[in-house]
Amino acid sequence: MELGGLGWIVIVNLVIWTGLFLYLLRLGKRVKELEKER
Amino acid sequence: MKTLLPWLLWVWMAVVIWAAFFYSPLAAGFIGQSSRVLFFHVPLAWTAFVGFLAAAVWSARYLFFGRRLRDDRAAAVAVEVGFVFCVLATVTGALWARIMWGAYWNWDPRQTSIILVLIFYGAYLSLRGAVEDGEKRARLAAVYALLGVVVTPFFFFIVPRITYSLHPDSVINSRGEVDMESRMLQVLLAAFAGNAALFFWIHNLQCRLRALAEGKARP
Repeated sequence: MELGGLGWIVIVNLVIWTGLFLYLLRLGKRVKELEKER
Repeated sequence: MKTLLPWLLWVWMAVVIWAAFFYSPLAAGFIGQSSRVLFFHVPLAWTAFVGFLAAAVWSARYLFFGRRLRDDRAAAVAVEVGFVFCVLATVTGALWARIMWGAYWNWDPRQTSIILVLIFYGAYLSLRGAVEDGEKRARLAAVYALLGVVVTPFFFFIVPRITYSLHPDSVINSRGEVDMESRMLQVLLAAFAGNAALFFWIHNLQCRLRALAEGKARP
């Protein structure tokens, strides 16, 4: 199955969104840990 | 439930991205696939607007309800995050302008007004950086952010309606009607909801980080 131009754009968008999402998720966990330490 | 919310947002935005390209039809009168920029550009701009209004609300709370540091912090972070959303709205708009108008920047009234909004809130951030005394900084910044209640709607909603612009009609057009294909409108509103949720998630994290940093800095 060939992935058209739009398909590639969707994949790039999803990769960027997933990267940002995982970063925020990790940041949230770190902030929670720091709040517990205080 | 709280830990499930970010994952729900991931699924929501993933579906919005898919829908923007494969569910929504193309708008008439646009070159190629360029109308799909709408699903990124417009929600970013709307979310920036919500962020700037939220900053004004937190500033009013600071000024009139107890001068609490956390309200000042929330207002400052709302402007910072809103500023990033506004820059992204400007960039996506310029990319679209390159396809439709042949140049990234044309000084169209819409482009000029978004630049003025960025300058206005850039000045807010400069003001905060220029005043060392914490209480004075919070008071001045709060008054300035309250001015945004007049400035932001003026540039976002009034300027486009009183000037001649090549920019496509707003979602609610000059006749006060929503003239948009229903699937496009669904994706647009879903994208806005996702962007707004993302804004408040980042806002929450940044406020907590700043509170931790300020707690550490205090002797």
